[in-house]
Amino acid sequence: MKFLRSLLPSALLLGAAVAKSASWGFDEAVLTVTAKGAAGLENKLSDHAPLSKAVSLGAQDALKVIITATEDGTPKRPHQAFLLLRDQDSGLETTFPFTMKENGKGKVDFTQKDIPVQLLTSKSPLRATLLLASFGTSIQFSNHVFNLDIKLDPNTALPKYDAPLRYGKLPEINHIFRADPKSGPIIISLFFVGAVLATVPILLGAWAYLGANLDHLGKATSSAPISHILFFGSIVAMEGIFFLYYYTWNLFQTLPVAGVVGLVAFLSGTKALGEVQGRRLAGER
Amino acid sequence: MRWILSFLLLGLLAVVQAASSSGNKLLVVLEELAEKSKYSKYLGDLEARGFEITFESPKSDKVALFELGARAYDHLLILPAKSKGLGPQLTPKLLLDFINAGGNILLTLSSSTPTQSALISLLLELDIHLPTDRTALVVDHFNYDTISAAEQHDVVLLPRPDAVRSDLKNFFKGAGKGGEAIAFPRGVGQTLGNNSPLLTPLLRAPRTAYSYNPKDDVEGVEDPFAVGQQLSLITTMQARNSARFTVIGSSEMLEDAWFGAKVQRSQGLSGAAASKEIKTSNQEFAKEVTGWTFNEIGVLKVGKIEHHLNEGEAADQVINPKIYRVKNDITYKIELSEYQWDRWVAFNPEAGDDLQLEFSMLSPFHRLPLKLIYTTTNSTIWTTSFKAPDQHGIFNFKVNYKRPFLSNIEEKNTVTVRHFAHDEWPRSWVISGAWPWISGIAVTVVGWTAFVALWLWSKPVPLKLTTSGKKVV
Repeated sequence: MKFLRSLLPSALLLGAAVAKSASWGFDEAVLTVTAKGAAGLENKLSDHAPLSKAVSLGAQDALKVIITATEDGTPKRPHQAFLLLRDQDSGLETTFPFTMKENGKGKVDFTQKDIPVQLLTSKSPLRATLLLASFGTSIQFSNHVFNLDIKLDPNTALPKYDAPLRYGKLPEINHIFRADPKSGPIIISLFFVGAVLATVPILLGAWAYLGANLDHLGKATSSAPISHILFFGSIVAMEGIFFLYYYTWNLFQTLPVAGVVGLVAFLSGTKALGEVQGRRLAGER
Repeated sequence: MRWILSFLLLGLLAVVQAASSSGNKLLVVLEELAEKSKYSKYLGDLEARGFEITFESPKSDKVALFELGARAYDHLLILPAKSKGLGPQLTPKLLLDFINAGGNILLTLSSSTPTQSALISLLLELDIHLPTDRTALVVDHFNYDTISAAEQHDVVLLPRPDAVRSDLKNFFKGAGKGGEAIAFPRGVGQTLGNNSPLLTPLLRAPRTAYSYNPKDDVEGVEDPFAVGQQLSLITTMQARNSARFTVIGSSEMLEDAWFGAKVQRSQGLSGAAASKEIKTSNQEFAKEVTGWTFNEIGVLKVGKIEHHLNEGEAADQVINPKIYRVKNDITYKIELSEYQWDRWVAFNPEAGDDLQLEFSMLSPFHRLPLKLIYTTTNSTIWTTSFKAPDQHGIFNFKVNYKRPFLSNIEEKNTVTVRHFAHDEWPRSWVISGAWPWISGIAVTVVGWTAFVALWLWSKPVPLKLTTSGKKVV
């Protein structure tokens, strides 16, 4: 009994192997592309080789495939009769199931409107595969039957397709900095520097021409030497303080020093300018 | 003495909790406790990995996902039940609350028991759609098991899944040798909404598969629910809080009978003859799918984050300052680890993928790839350097790393970017346009000093008068 039981599955398998000789296929398959108001172009599909020329489908055309499915030569309805259209570049695929009758006759028809936009925009022709398959042990049929070349209407825009959000790497962004501020041509700056500096000799020359002199220097320093030296020194020192303030000092370093120098200028200035006034009153100025 | 003991206990606890990176309390919902034996190998694997399993029937009044408002379990496994509903403790809202609270759910479906409407509405909420006829199942006349389903073709044999995209990690490829077969017996296919980035199909049906209703579509299918790769057999959803939700279309594939069962592939699409008998990889594959769902793989952790100035000055030593200046050179570093079954290991993204750092105020000003500089035993350190944009304001260093099958990383560190202080601009003598003005000041200074000297010490010259009394110079 045990032996028999173990024999049974292998016998079944054997039976399966025998039944495997049965296979799905088709008797006749006709592909028609009909343009609007024109007679269709008919193509007979072969069950072992795809059509040599790609079938082209225009914007107004309708494609129809009529098929007679057979199992082992006799017409029969398969459970699965699909026409697959695949974009060879992206691997995306769409399926058109046949409307089948009991006697194995079936048809499928579609236009460009039925094809998803991702496939419409494919660069290469779509690869059409015919599947005829059913339950049981028969060998199923699957074959590449034709290529479909989609001719888009150049006048109508394609329906817009925005790829949905998927998490992944985003494009790199590098901040674009504003351009640095630029000075004008250096030669112009130098010209005007020259023009400005030239005013000093012009000024001094004009004064000299008008008779400006330092002849009272000896007189002044002999009558009030300390106050004259301190007063003129503090004026020069004040300019030096301003220069240091511009170059490196801050206000808190500048103010106390300027205060001291200012006080010196005030005190010595009173005396020095008094001496100048004395000379004027003496009619020497 | 006592504290040593408590440390020992803590250590023990850590060993036991090594199962998953997010706790090991697992609730298994199944109708009859007797059914446990059907899944003994699968549940045994889970227990061996350290999960603490509680079994409850949906009818039981003890089953509760929350206790005092907190999650009572870390993970939930729902096996198909014949009853019409799942009871008041497993409503779609509570299940969603469970996900929102960070719990992971593994849901299994079966074509032999109609899926409860509570689960269908939960799936709809997540944009996962099931066939309208509740007994629909997936068949494939080109990729079936000739031993167990020679007639019905409802045991679909699949190879290990490929990565969804080439730049994503594939956690489900097993040893990666190929030639393996996953048996998917009598399962329910799902279709996914196209708009959610949270959904990812883990296992998709072969090109030739389709879903049909064995009661209605006896003669043939003319309007199938979904066909080919559009059918997802195992679907994953990772919520924004990184909680994971997986739908396995066939609970049967987890049963003992299919763990290591002998299968034989049918004649495929290419027409190649039937191959040899092989053992299914269901056990290893189930481990990977469950491990992913229960946070045992694909979990990322951020270690240390450091940013500092990169200008070759003493200020570079200050780590994570609160303030930078526009156009400062800045270096940013981040440390990442990945959980792998029972420990943290160094994380490396797949080739073609990049970790990216955004320096953003409202929108990113910089988005730069981070480069690997150092690998420790359980982490990798990534860095990038850049110049702060010439725009002051409140900026974020942001690492927003979200990828299917990896837990989400969203790290934000806020810093202030100030503009130049008055003494940080270039000095005026550097600017050639300022030279005439500077020399103007110099001329004034010289002129003033000369004038003072003249005022103090000039001797008047005697007036020379012309005959008409005018002054002559």
